[in-house]
This record gives sequence, C-alpha cells and structure tokens, in this order.
Amino acid sequence: MIRFEKRENISKKLRILVPLLSVILGLLVGAIVIALAKINPFTAFKAILVGSFGSKYTFTETLVFATPLILISVGLIIAFKMNFWNIGAYGQYIIGAVASSYFALFISSNLPKPLLLIIMTVAGLAGGAFWALIPALLKAYWEVNEVISTLLLNYVSLYFLKYLMYGHWRDPRSHGFPLSKTFADNAQLYKIIPNSRVHLGLVFGIIAAFVVWFIIKKTKFGYETRIIGGSKQAALYAGINVKRNIVIAMLISGALAGLAGMAQISGVIHLLQIEINPDYGYTAIIAAWLSYLEPFAAIFVSLLLGALSAGGYQIQITMQVPFGIVSVIESSILFALIGSEILLRYSIHFKRGRT
Amino acid sequence: MLAPSLVTILTNLIFTAVRSGTIILFPTIGEIFTERSGVMNLGIEGMMIVGAFFGFVVAYTTKNPYLGFLAGMIAGGLVALIHAFITITLRGKQVVSGLALTIFGLGITNFYGQKFVNFQLKVGFSKISIPIISRIPIIGPIFFKQDIIVYFSYILAASMWYVLYKTKIGVHLRATGENATAADAMGVDVFATRYFWTFFGGLLAGAGGAYLTIGYAPFWLDGITAGRGWIAVALVIFAMWDPLNAVFGAYLFGSIDSLQFLLQASGTTIPSSLLSMQPYLLTFIVVVIATLIVRFKHIGVPKELGLPFSREEK
Repeated sequence: MIRFEKRENISKKLRILVPLLSVILGLLVGAIVIALAKINPFTAFKAILVGSFGSKYTFTETLVFATPLILISVGLIIAFKMNFWNIGAYGQYIIGAVASSYFALFISSNLPKPLLLIIMTVAGLAGGAFWALIPALLKAYWEVNEVISTLLLNYVSLYFLKYLMYGHWRDPRSHGFPLSKTFADNAQLYKIIPNSRVHLGLVFGIIAAFVVWFIIKKTKFGYETRIIGGSKQAALYAGINVKRNIVIAMLISGALAGLAGMAQISGVIHLLQIEINPDYGYTAIIAAWLSYLEPFAAIFVSLLLGALSAGGYQIQITMQVPFGIVSVIESSILFALIGSEILLRYSIHFKRGRT
Repeated sequence: MLAPSLVTILTNLIFTAVRSGTIILFPTIGEIFTERSGVMNLGIEGMMIVGAFFGFVVAYTTKNPYLGFLAGMIAGGLVALIHAFITITLRGKQVVSGLALTIFGLGITNFYGQKFVNFQLKVGFSKISIPIISRIPIIGPIFFKQDIIVYFSYILAASMWYVLYKTKIGVHLRATGENATAADAMGVDVFATRYFWTFFGGLLAGAGGAYLTIGYAPFWLDGITAGRGWIAVALVIFAMWDPLNAVFGAYLFGSIDSLQFLLQASGTTIPSSLLSMQPYLLTFIVVVIATLIVRFKHIGVPKELGLPFSREEK
C-alpha cells in the first residue's frame, strides 16, 4: 500500500517541476485524443506552435488571447487565496461588457475619447463588481454555496445578454442578427502595437497583477486574506472580520473580470454581440491554479494558455480540428496539477500490506 | 374544434415536466450519495454530457436505446473515477477537480461530437401505460403513461431512500461522510466506500445525460446539457441530501422548463431569452432559500463533505 509522509518544506525545484510535468501530461492526453480521431498529433501540435509563436503577428495574437486571461486570473487569485470559489468570472465578464457597452452605444456621441474610455473602464469594473457582490453577500451573511450561486448567475447573465441583443440593443441595420451597432472610434480602446490587435487591456492586466501582488503581500487586508484561506476558524479567533474580507475580495475579483469584458469588446470586438468569449472566465481558473495563485506567474501562465487558444483557433480553421481539444488539454493539465499537489506536501513510501 | 381545457393543458404540462425532471433527477440522486460519502463532485455537467454523448452514439449505431442508456451510464461512471482517483487517493482539491471534470467533458464531447451534430435518433424508449392506475384521473396520465426509464427513476428514488436510511450500507455510507475517522474505527473501508459512491454518482449523471439525448431530445448538439448538471448540484441542497426530496426538486425544475416551452409555443410577448433564464434564476432563488432552511434547522449537510481522509493524519 502507498503511504504518504508530510514534507517539512517544499523544494523550489518541485514547485517548477510539477507544473511543467502537468503541462507535458496535458499535452500527452491531448495527443492521444487527437490521434484517436485519426489526425496526426505532431502535425496538430506543430500547427498550434506556429499559430501562436510562429511569427510576429501570431505572437501578437497570443498576446490578445492572453489579455483577458491575465485580468481575470489575477482577480481570481485574491478570491481563491481566501478559499472563496469564484466560478462566476464568466458572468462578471458579461455584465462588465454590457455595462461599458451602454456608454459606448447610448452616451458616446460627443465625448472626447479619453473621457469616454475612462467612463467605460469604470463601468466595466463596476458592472463586474456588482455581479460578484450578489454571491459575496449571500456567502458572507447566509453561507450560500458560492460555487453554485456564481455558476447559476453565469447562465442568468448569458440570457440577460441575449435578451438585450435580441431586444433594444440590436442594431436595426443588422438584418436581424443579434449585433449592436459598431462602436464609434472614441469608444475603441487604444492599440499599443501597430498592425496588430493588441490593445491597452494588456497594460491594464500587467498593472492589475502588480496591484494584486501589492494587496496580497503588503496590506493588512492581504495578510488577513491569507489567514482566512488557511483556516476560517483561526481567522475568526484572531478577530478578523471575515464577512467584510469576503465581500472586498469578491469586489476586486469581479471588478477585474468585468474590466476584462470591457477591454475585450472595446479593444477587440468593437461591438456587443452574444458571442463575446466569456469562456475566458473558466480558462482563467486554470491559469490561476497553474500559477499557484502568484500574480506574476499568472501573467506567464496566461501567455501560455493564450498561445494554446490562439493555436487552437488556427488548427480549427486550417485542419478542422474542433476547438474542444483545447479544453481537453487544459483540463488534463489541471487534473495533473491538483493530483500532484500531494507530491509537494508529502513524500511517498511504498509498503507491502496494510499498516 | 374545441379549445383544450385547462385541465388538459396542465396535465400535458406536468407530463412533460416529469420527463424533463427525470434528466435532472438521476444526477441529483447520484450526487446526494456521492456527497453523503464525503466527496463533493461538481463535475456533474461534465459527466452528464459524456453520458449524453456516448448514450446517443451507441443508441444511434446499434439502434438500441437501452444499450445506449447503459453505455451513457458506464461512460459517466468511468469519468467519475478520474475524480475519485484525484480526490480520494491523491487528496486533490475537490472543487477544482470537479471543475476540471466539467471542462474535460464539454471539451471531449465537442471534439468527438462534431460529426454527429444535428444527427437525429430514430429509436426511443417504449412508453407503457401501467394497468389500472394509469386510468386514475390526472395522476394516471401524468405519472403512469411514461416511458420505462421514468419508471426506473421512480423505483430508483424509492429504493435509494431505503438503502440510505434502512440498510447497513446506508449506515456505513452516512458514517463515512459524517466522521470518516469513526467510520474507519468501526471497520468501514472509507476509501472503498467513497470510491464506490463517487462511481455511483457518475453512473447516474451519465444516466441523466443519456435520457436527455435518447428519451427527451433525440438529437446531438454541442453542449446539449446546457447547465443541467449545475442545476442538479443545486438541487442536492434543495433536497437536503434526501433522495425523495430530490424528486420534488427535479419535477419543480421540470415544470419551469416545460412551462417556458409552453409559453413560447403559445406566442407570448415575453422575450424567449427571459423565459430561458427562468430555470437558472429559479434554481438560484431556491438554493438561497434552501440554504437558509438548512442553516436554521441544522440538518442535512454531511459534516466531512469535501474533506479528504487519511489514516496517518488526524
């Protein structure tokens, strides 16, 4: 039988080796799944690599895919550190996008570009924070399971978006398609790399990572967050206001997801529609875990997962490989990562018979 | 032609509600038992869609709906074993593993399901009118003119209630979820118990998925489970971890589901997106209320839900 013994300290080497091996295992599972569909996995992986890092342009596309992941994952890190399972970034992203679109579609006319963009940014942050506030309050005061509440609210927000897109927000000239009118130039986020789709949202993401790092490492709130994450009971004994901290953590987490939604529609899509890629909200959960809840590592991991998505879209178009393969790889990485957590905390001994 | 009477409309509505509710009832019962053993598996959506897909494909290729149903169950059970291995043997985080399971299930069925999209199934479960009781007014046509799988779900709910409260298996199961260390001292094999009930939860999640694509909506679409797995997770709380309560929860959800279709068909002016939102919104409200009841009455929740067990550490 297998027996586990607690490790005294976790070596740095394992901290890097485990995620690395997880990624390799994830790719291996992906390769098997691809091969079973009678597609050569090496050709597919080469195409993913070329489609994400192959040229200057494809690399900028990787950055575009990574941007929302960075914003959302660093926000999730705060919530996850507290053991608050915010699975609702999907919905917070949608509500952030909707809130900022309101200003782009109905208020924009004559506002100077910087002013409108600031208003839209604030609206995105506020929209996401508001949508996160509901499950946060329910959890803090009534102990409503946040996994379920945030998830169900994801569906509510998706149908709310559909309602708007099939209703008053639809452009009358869209020939019945559920699209809003295209944002005017003053509602489009600045590009930061010429001849690419990379926009200011990437800078927001990096700033957000710094801010979150600072909050966690240097503030009283961050200190308390880590204690609550360790043991809620201990935090209560220490006189920490757990309820207030849950609400603050979720406001930050939701606000950043909302900002990601705003950045995506203002920087990339330039209009509101039903398909605004809220799935980033789920992928970012993987990014947060793969980075061991470290904000700067989350930037790097988001780039990696962004590359996988960018390459995934490429092979969908060029090789007709369904995009689901990206989810298969991502989830396998996640399985390997949480499954091997035990290697970090324990050393393994093999023994005969039962102890 | 005479307009159908209100009774007829309501009877039809609840008849469909039972069918729609059955899709959720299977996974809800399964998850109740998984959670009772101390394991939380949030991957129902993933297990369901894998069951829905394999069930559909096997029913489609063999032209045998029952073989398909069985295949869907087994597929769901096998996927659940991933969760069991990660969380029970390796003691990984249950919430994250469940999410990974959902992402995995949606991804893999999207990948292999592409070539089946919009395929129609020509076979289905046979409908049987139970003699005598199907002639009881209202109740008969609603509950006893259903298909075999619906009857199977009635028997399952009742017998699982019996297993949970009236048998030794049930005692061991509950002990494992309430206090694994004590159960271990009693001689219960905690690992085997948790493995088995996690597998059982997967079987039933697969059953719900297979009933969806073989019995309820006999075609394949990407992401066809559409969040029903999450509603099942929520209904576990509504049911307060009791298989008979799960029946009410599932049919309540089914009623909302079929009511929205009825309203859409009647040409209402309410936008269809707002109608489609109702099952999720309602489940959300129900979970909040159920949580409050559980909290004030101090009932239900298995005490060691979500905690891994090991002999060495206390």
